[in-house]
Amino acid sequence: MIEIRDMSKWYGDFQVLSRINEVIHRGQTVVVCGPSGSGKSTLLRCINGLEPFQEGEVLVDGVSVSDPSTNLYKLRQKIGMVFQRFELYPHMTALQNITLAPLKVKKKTREEAGKKAMELLARVGIPDKADSFPANLSGGQQQRVAIARALAMEPEVMMFDEPTSALDPEMIKEVLDVMIDLAKGGMTMVVVSHEMGFAREVADEIIFMDEGKIIERGTGEEFFKNPKSERTKDFLSKILI
Amino acid sequence: MFDAVWRNLPYLLGGYWVTVKLTFFALIGGIALGVLVGLGRISKKKWIYYPVTFYVNLIRNIPLILVIFWFYFVMPIIVGRPMDPFPSAVISFIVFEATYFGEILRAGFQSVSRDLIQAGYSTGLTYWQTTRYLLVPIAFRRMLPSMITQSIVTYQDTSLAFVIGLPELVRRTAIVDGLEVRSIQLFGFVAVVFFITCYLGSIVSRRFEVQRERGF
Repeated sequence: MIEIRDMSKWYGDFQVLSRINEVIHRGQTVVVCGPSGSGKSTLLRCINGLEPFQEGEVLVDGVSVSDPSTNLYKLRQKIGMVFQRFELYPHMTALQNITLAPLKVKKKTREEAGKKAMELLARVGIPDKADSFPANLSGGQQQRVAIARALAMEPEVMMFDEPTSALDPEMIKEVLDVMIDLAKGGMTMVVVSHEMGFAREVADEIIFMDEGKIIERGTGEEFFKNPKSERTKDFLSKILI
Repeated sequence: MFDAVWRNLPYLLGGYWVTVKLTFFALIGGIALGVLVGLGRISKKKWIYYPVTFYVNLIRNIPLILVIFWFYFVMPIIVGRPMDPFPSAVISFIVFEATYFGEILRAGFQSVSRDLIQAGYSTGLTYWQTTRYLLVPIAFRRMLPSMITQSIVTYQDTSLAFVIGLPELVRRTAIVDGLEVRSIQLFGFVAVVFFITCYLGSIVSRRFEVQRERGF
């Protein structure tokens, strides 16, 4: 589904990503963790072409992201993305946030898009908030609307960029539950997160990144019990209290 | 007390209609062009950014009255025939006000976070779709009080078009004054007309400001 080959990226002289190799198969959930500034968020943005990279290759469903002839707008429809600070459109209701892209990009009718949006709001547990504006929703509710907005385009992959790190502790669970549900439902997911409980429960693979490199990769229990590198051990000892 | 005003009211109101029309076209054109100017000022493409920035700096450092004069005398050379004061004034105002609206909107565009625009892109929206449905409406809402203030300034400034003989309210009042010699009441009337309309505008602007403070 997603294939990253020897990908490197620089901001000027500063190398943010260095020779990243990774294959994510359909239906897999991959959790990416690591200290801040390690290039995790940049990696996500390179996968859907929001950020360019200088070397290597990223293939999504066999289509090269960096190929100038690739229609990035079309490619991004297949890849939903959820942001740390929700990024809901403040001038639109929850329902309008969700239906904008289906209406304008997929040219769905208002009835179709509205019906689908209501189904998604029910799925993330807030069908009664359809007509609320983001300013009147809690952080957890906003993030669930953001997930519904991404799902409305019926993506094949969902990417999450620290989806719970801007949330109050009591709201983290409601968002994670939605994500666990998605992962178990067979969605292909790339999740940048330090929620190790989530990683343990649904991750097929956990990647640890530092200074733009993938330091270690492993599957659930193995990653936590026997981390190989010192840096991973050090990092885990800091976040697993 | 306002006898000279009453005697000439239809003529003066005719002038006010010209003022209103000029304001209307100046605002429609100025804001429309201002959106493009604002977008140009945040563009990463150098061939867009530099010419737009040059235009903004040039016009903002010239008095409006000069721009009005200049267009009135240069347009005939470009178009090849003499031009009426009204279209000439409309063009000068659009060119002038667009730089001010453009700078207000640039600040509005810059207040929209990069991630919010990326959220739009990540659902498959194109550049023009994110601009039209996200960037422009959000910037407009956030900048509404400043936009209204600038609109009021534009409305007041339309009286400067009297220098090229446009028969708007101030120009017509001066003509009436030439006949009636009642400067205080005639120009007092003009002041009252402008004061009332502008004051209403500022009340509207304040209301939006309060609304904005409540969140958004």
